[in-house]
Amino acid sequence: MRTWKDRMRHSTRGLGFVALVLIVAAIFGALEPRFLSYVSLNGIARHMAANGLAALGLTFVVIVRKFDLSIAGVAAFCAMSMGALIAAGWPLWSVILAGLALGAVIGGISGIAISRFGLPDIVTTIAVGSIGTGLAFIYTGGRSIFQNFFTSGITDLNDAKLMGLGVSMWLLVAIYALAWFVLSRTRTGLAFYATGENPMAAHFSGIATRRFVALAYVLCAMCTVLAVLLILAESGTAETNKGANLMMPAYAGVFLGAAIMGGTSVIASFGGILLITMLLDGFALMGLPYYYSDGVVSLILLIGVLAFSDGARGTLEALRFLFWPQKPTKPTAKGSDA
Amino acid sequence: MTMTSTVKFAQSRPRGRKIARLTTDLWLVVAVIVVTLGIASQRPQLLDAVNIATVLKSFSIMVVMVLGLTWVIASGKIDVSFMQVAALSNMICAYALAQGWSWGGAIVVALLAGALVGLINGWLVASMRLPALIVTISTAGICASIAAALGKGTVIRIADPGPLEPLLQPALGGAVPMIVVPVLLIAAVAWFVQERLSFGRYIYALGQNEAAVRAVGVPVVKLTVVLFVLSGVSSALAGILLASSLSSGQPMIGGPFLINGLTVVLLGGMMVRVGKPNILGTLTATLFIGVLFSGATLLGLPDFQRQIIQGGLLLTGLIVATIAASHHGARTAGQ
Repeated sequence: MRTWKDRMRHSTRGLGFVALVLIVAAIFGALEPRFLSYVSLNGIARHMAANGLAALGLTFVVIVRKFDLSIAGVAAFCAMSMGALIAAGWPLWSVILAGLALGAVIGGISGIAISRFGLPDIVTTIAVGSIGTGLAFIYTGGRSIFQNFFTSGITDLNDAKLMGLGVSMWLLVAIYALAWFVLSRTRTGLAFYATGENPMAAHFSGIATRRFVALAYVLCAMCTVLAVLLILAESGTAETNKGANLMMPAYAGVFLGAAIMGGTSVIASFGGILLITMLLDGFALMGLPYYYSDGVVSLILLIGVLAFSDGARGTLEALRFLFWPQKPTKPTAKGSDA
Repeated sequence: MTMTSTVKFAQSRPRGRKIARLTTDLWLVVAVIVVTLGIASQRPQLLDAVNIATVLKSFSIMVVMVLGLTWVIASGKIDVSFMQVAALSNMICAYALAQGWSWGGAIVVALLAGALVGLINGWLVASMRLPALIVTISTAGICASIAAALGKGTVIRIADPGPLEPLLQPALGGAVPMIVVPVLLIAAVAWFVQERLSFGRYIYALGQNEAAVRAVGVPVVKLTVVLFVLSGVSSALAGILLASSLSSGQPMIGGPFLINGLTVVLLGGMMVRVGKPNILGTLTATLFIGVLFSGATLLGLPDFQRQIIQGGLLLTGLIVATIAASHHGARTAGQ
């Protein structure tokens, strides 16, 4: 169990994170007053819902120490499949269930290929993603699908509000709360972490590590489906390039959050994706051309990961030693949890 | 199953082993010939001089782009920034020419940009110990953004075809562009380095067991940085060739090359040194993919079907390579 000191350090990092979010909000608010308007904040909440769901899926995969690069492909194929079903007149709930099932199957294929058959995760998911991107074209050959979208009720996911907050935001909070409970408060969650930390030890502790790796990919694909569902709800059409912009923010959110909070967790991903979405929307509002957004996200990700890496900490220690050679440096325990 | 029996057979009889060895070494060459003949029987245009020249031109550019990547993957790392490095150098070239620079200056700057990205990748991966995927995915995003920003999101046209243009034109009987010769020379040098110099041995040793290589005193950090720099420079060179070939800088050109590049490197890793990416395998696989895609275009398959086929090929390559590697591991462990 966590000691009092651990808790302190954790909450210090959490407070730092909140401060960082407030500072970013204040800077954008000062530069562009519209940033803090209700419309803009609502937009951030909606974008965060989509980005956040993709990031949550990725969180599971990153916790078992793997990568998933099929997010864009899975999103494209499932978006077009759901669009085709809506156009065929299926009721919305069955469309969502079918989309989730399809995502689970694709995630299961990647997951089993990687966990059971030992294929390399990065290239396998790139291949699966490529097949998904190609399959997205089979329904219409690349044309967008919009039939029945406005009568199916999918746009309510974007427009409807509950106590002043969009439905999508409530969905995000609910799913994050569920994921937080499972990962931080149950044996299942512990098994995910153990699988990532040391698969061998986890295996000998009686954890079916392969099953948890596969499960992580299934959950990642299903979260991606929900994320792209929200994008469909926002735009009112299904297009083959929907979801192409989900992957970079997801990676940036998960790794930035992990870097700042000192470990991958649901809360870290939530904070990370909040920060990333604020930055993206802020820059967009200030009129930064669209082609800079990937670069900005990448740069933030790189700086974040670098700034909180062990290597950077070593460099800092070395510098301190250079400038104050007499001062006895206390052994820091921080290295262990970062 | 077939794999298992081949291995057992190979163990029991030396001659069988030789045949099995030859099959694993050369099956991709056979595949190239079979695919070529198969498509040519349906679409004879495949073997027209003009079409051969087109295939060989894209073959040359592709080989240049992934030469460095082959070694990065062989050393157990990954570089997913290579295609955006090519896009960046492509745009730098076009931008510099549009600013009134000479081709020589543009090429030097573009190559330096590639080397710089490689240096940053290598430093972050080797010295700062960051995960290679996260580092290169980020540098890829940054390169793509800079490339697009140079042309403000659109294409930059190149008026002067430049000194590389004649190399890309069909010569030697109208079927072989001259660029093939220097590319094959570079590949031959790379093959020599990989097979005969300790540098090459270190690359594969690094892929097997980095800690052990470090322990015997090989400068692992320097080696990794050099591999990433080579990858950056070779992709940048491909970007320059693309600029000359297309007479323009195309900011979005990188995207499709990611899956292409990984496919040829991993498919190539299934021959000669089974389970390990190598130069000869990359060359053959690039030719294979080139013929396959030219054939797909001639047969009228739409773009997205090619993408599905390619994903399937990549998966197949991975599965076979994984099986081969596990058998190899079991065999060496057993002896």
